[in-house]
Amino acid sequence: MREMITGQYIMGDSIIHCLDPRTKLIGCLVVIVVAVWPRQTITILLFNLAFIIIVIYFAEVGVGRVLRGLRSLKLIFLLTFICQVFLTRGDPLWSWGSIVITRQGIDLGINTFLRLLILFLSASLLTMTTSTLKISAGLESLLSPLKYLRFPVQQFAMIINIALRFIPTITEEAEHIVRAQKSRGAQFDSGSLSIRLRTVMALLIPLLAASLQRATDLAWAMESRCYTSDGQIYSRVYKLHFAQRDLIAMGVISIVLLLAIL
Amino acid sequence: MDGRIELIDATKEYKHAGSPPVSALNCVNLSIRQGEFVGMVGLNASGKTTLARMLNGLILPSRGKVLVNGLDTADLAQKKEIRRLVGMVFQNPDNQIINPIVEEEVAFAAENLNLSPAEVRRRVDWALEVSGLADLRHHAPQMLSGGQKQRLAVAAVLVMQPSYLVLDEPTSMLDEDGRYELIKTLQDLNRQQRLSIIMISHRMEEVAPAERIIVLHQGTVYLDGPPAEVFRSPRFALAGLKPPPIARLTNSLLRQGHPIDDRIVTLEQMVEFLCR
Ligand SMILES: Nc1ncnc2c1ncn2[C@@H]1O[C@H](COP(=O)(O)OP(=O)(O)OP(=O)(O)O)[C@@H](O)[C@H]1O
Ligand SMILES: [Mg+2]
Repeated sequence: MREMITGQYIMGDSIIHCLDPRTKLIGCLVVIVVAVWPRQTITILLFNLAFIIIVIYFAEVGVGRVLRGLRSLKLIFLLTFICQVFLTRGDPLWSWGSIVITRQGIDLGINTFLRLLILFLSASLLTMTTSTLKISAGLESLLSPLKYLRFPVQQFAMIINIALRFIPTITEEAEHIVRAQKSRGAQFDSGSLSIRLRTVMALLIPLLAASLQRATDLAWAMESRCYTSDGQIYSRVYKLHFAQRDLIAMGVISIVLLLAIL
Repeated sequence: MDGRIELIDATKEYKHAGSPPVSALNCVNLSIRQGEFVGMVGLNASGKTTLARMLNGLILPSRGKVLVNGLDTADLAQKKEIRRLVGMVFQNPDNQIINPIVEEEVAFAAENLNLSPAEVRRRVDWALEVSGLADLRHHAPQMLSGGQKQRLAVAAVLVMQPSYLVLDEPTSMLDEDGRYELIKTLQDLNRQQRLSIIMISHRMEEVAPAERIIVLHQGTVYLDGPPAEVFRSPRFALAGLKPPPIARLTNSLLRQGHPIDDRIVTLEQMVEFLCR
């Protein structure tokens, strides 16, 4: 079997899996808002990170699996860190010619790094413990007040559902194309910029074409199964169920939020 | 008229700005009874997919009419009922699965029909049972084999309790085992639930067990009848097709004067005949 893609739903019956998707969505939102709040201190970010790590432990999805996804993002993490460190002005700590490293730079670097890490971990934790149908059902329920403003909540939830559903399929397809191109001698990680650009285009164009074909097929399949974009669905078999554990979880989230604000 | 799908002078032309219209179907007249097992064959571009998609109103005829149990597919008010009556399974299993869990995928169509939760559950259980997926209900579709995915696509349509099931090359992306499982499931559904099956395929062995074979050629119904007759007809070769090996064997045995039942077209029938 091929390797699991990070963020892909992992079946389980841990306490985190069993929470109502609305609780998890709100929790995720709280953590993200706290993390991206301007002028957040490192202490609060670390506190936030600790909270996520505890949740990962309870989710029983395996820390290794969560961290594996970080590998592909390491370049982004490193680049943002380096940019912040070298481009921030302030009290110099160390300098070499025109390159100056400042205390503020290091601070900001760590700060941004932590923020990115929190964003990544909370989002992948959400999708690893919640099936996409539950995510979209949760979103639909949370956004349902917007119905009165004529916002197409159900349709929006369906779009999210399909987008999430096709991420693994399209990733897999990209891998296929990369392999096919490589076997014909394409080079993805060497050669001049223009050659690499051409190679990437040779990946993107078939991928786009295949995705459009998928989208068309899917539209036929949905229509054949009586889906109409203007219809309202009244009976979701997966009924959202706000249980006592959700109350407790909401309590925990509120405390985390309070501590972060104070 | 009840209990049949009827095509009356059904014609389809695809028109795209800047290019001449493509004629995909030309004055097709057909009647498919409820409970029939129909195989549909023909070369590429003969109009099979176009015809299949006309049966549940995904494609409307440019001229002529399609009636499902007397309901006109062009009538917007009947659209949902027609889609419910005529289930459709497509070629690529990956492109028709919408939901991340087997049981949620099966529930999708039932939810769209706004059935009560108890009824949705009952039908989901039944559909999973008859398509042999009951044990996999909590799995993610990506983890299923090709054959299981196609049976999932069948189950996802069965929850609507259709009278007709149209399958457009459902086996073309499956391996030998997957094909066998799917065909077996379809035959059981046909016999036990009296569900009509209309299956398109490029493999003659797959349509040979059907009651009736329709050959499309250049957008027209070129041949239509029981498999043995269709395979033996000189027009079959003219349509660019080749009978399955067992039908060819039966034919050459007949030509050499052996007393053999001329209706034999499948391996099972041959075995049964020889063992008798
Ligand atoms: N959306 C479309 N726009 C224009 N022409 C089309 C369209 N769909 C089909 N056609 C044309 O209509 C004709 C019949 O196509 P159709 O897909 O029904 O054939 P088919 O028998 O299913 O072929 P295959 O065995 O390749 O699946 C072909 O000439 C095809 O090019
Ligand atoms: Mg076709």
